[in-house]
Amino acid sequence: MRLPLGALTLKSATLKSASGAWNRFFFRKQSPIPIALFRVAYGLLVIATVLSLRPDWLAWYGGHAWISLSTMQSVEPGTRLNLFTIVPQSDGWIDAFFWILLGSAMMLATGFLTRLNSVIVFLCLTSVHQRNLFITHGGDTFLRLAGFFLMFAPAGAALSMDRLLRVRRSKRGEEDTLNRPRPQRPWAQRMIQIQLALLYFAAFCSKVKSPAWLNGTALYYVYHVESLHRFPVPAWFLQPEMLKLESWSAMAIEFSLALLIWVKDLRYILLALGMLFHLCLEYSLNVSLFEWDVLSAYILFVDPTDASRAWNWIRQRLDGSRTEPC
Amino acid sequence: MKVARPKRNHPIWIPKVKIAAINLFLAFHILAITCWCVPLKLPLFPLCRKLVRPYFLWAGLFQSWDMFAPSPWASNSYVEAVVIYKDGSRKTWSFPRMEQLGLTDRYLKERYRKFSEVLQIEDNDLLLPDVARHIARLNSTPSNPAKTIILIRRWSPIIPRADGSYQPEPWDQHVLLGYGVRPEDLQ
Repeated sequence: MRLPLGALTLKSATLKSASGAWNRFFFRKQSPIPIALFRVAYGLLVIATVLSLRPDWLAWYGGHAWISLSTMQSVEPGTRLNLFTIVPQSDGWIDAFFWILLGSAMMLATGFLTRLNSVIVFLCLTSVHQRNLFITHGGDTFLRLAGFFLMFAPAGAALSMDRLLRVRRSKRGEEDTLNRPRPQRPWAQRMIQIQLALLYFAAFCSKVKSPAWLNGTALYYVYHVESLHRFPVPAWFLQPEMLKLESWSAMAIEFSLALLIWVKDLRYILLALGMLFHLCLEYSLNVSLFEWDVLSAYILFVDPTDASRAWNWIRQRLDGSRTEPC
Repeated sequence: MKVARPKRNHPIWIPKVKIAAINLFLAFHILAITCWCVPLKLPLFPLCRKLVRPYFLWAGLFQSWDMFAPSPWASNSYVEAVVIYKDGSRKTWSFPRMEQLGLTDRYLKERYRKFSEVLQIEDNDLLLPDVARHIARLNSTPSNPAKTIILIRRWSPIIPRADGSYQPEPWDQHVLLGYGVRPEDLQ
């Protein structure tokens, strides 16, 4: 069947505009400040995660761990990127693994040998998770996934030791100045953003199928699991009508952060709501660093122009306060 | 006047190939991650999950985001172990219980909450012998080694009331595993 000429033109125009939108979204160069800020936050979160594991490091990953390497491999079969399978299973080696991961995360946070350290952190983090999948939470998973895409990102193009050294080494005029990092293609940053949106969308889809979430009783259970308590929650917060409202709000926020976050005019309102949502969870529930792991990726949704404007505003304030007479 | 063109280090087609490769990478990962993690029953999702499974497992891209869903944990529960020694004495050992810890310890020991939850799930029975062996090692001395480890799950259901109040229900228990400790387990 032949399509009429008008339909063909329309189809080709639609394809062209979709391809243009795709190219603008993934490849239009922009300031690397958001991805650099994310790299710093990411590095700090990996450091915090690793340090929190330190007291029980050998109990989880050592030669006499809770779950042996062979049991782990039989329970979770398949070829997996897991450096523990090639590292000798002595406590000395497993300890060395800890220090390599910690050192590499520190260098990643400061932006020293950024690309290399992003690869080392991803490999080590993935190995740690694969070695014992039964103690990882959603925050760990998000760090691992974001780490995968961070390896491809120009994360050291700003706010990094790498850049500082590059600027110092280069001749005047050859390299961009310290204050203005060269724009970069943001496709890897976009993938971390998409990953975050998919996280919210999947969480929303899981909840929307659940009677407990639809009838608003889900949070009743969550708030009465004693092992999850952190700080006391006021009694009115646990009233049935409030719990319904909270359950539905959680679903609405997850849905919005998945789909409406891409609408520019709604973005900052949704980011503020999302922050409030995660900070409430951080206050009330003991789920380790999950909330911070997720919140760190919000940085990537801040428009680089707005980030620069905010940075200039802060600098002006700081300069102003320095020059003010006592 | 002729202007000298800057020397190109690579053939002209390389950037195009690079962009095409990146586009392929992006399209593949967006599609694969969506199929993997979004719990929708769409026709192509199971096939896609099956196809990408080896790569996702290998690269660590597997993920699930069912936070407190579809059904949240509906009981207070913990796992403890009864350690029976060679001399016949007994001791009860428990995983760190978050509700009994201070704020800092709760943060640092949170992994034990997760681990203890995992051990209570029937699908994870294969983990229990390793856990019993570890508890035996933790609780043995050369003069009085552990002989038997009994892993017990204790739980109290959470039952919602119409007025929103909470009444703790009586605790129930269930033996997860009885394990006879062998001398080599303690080495």
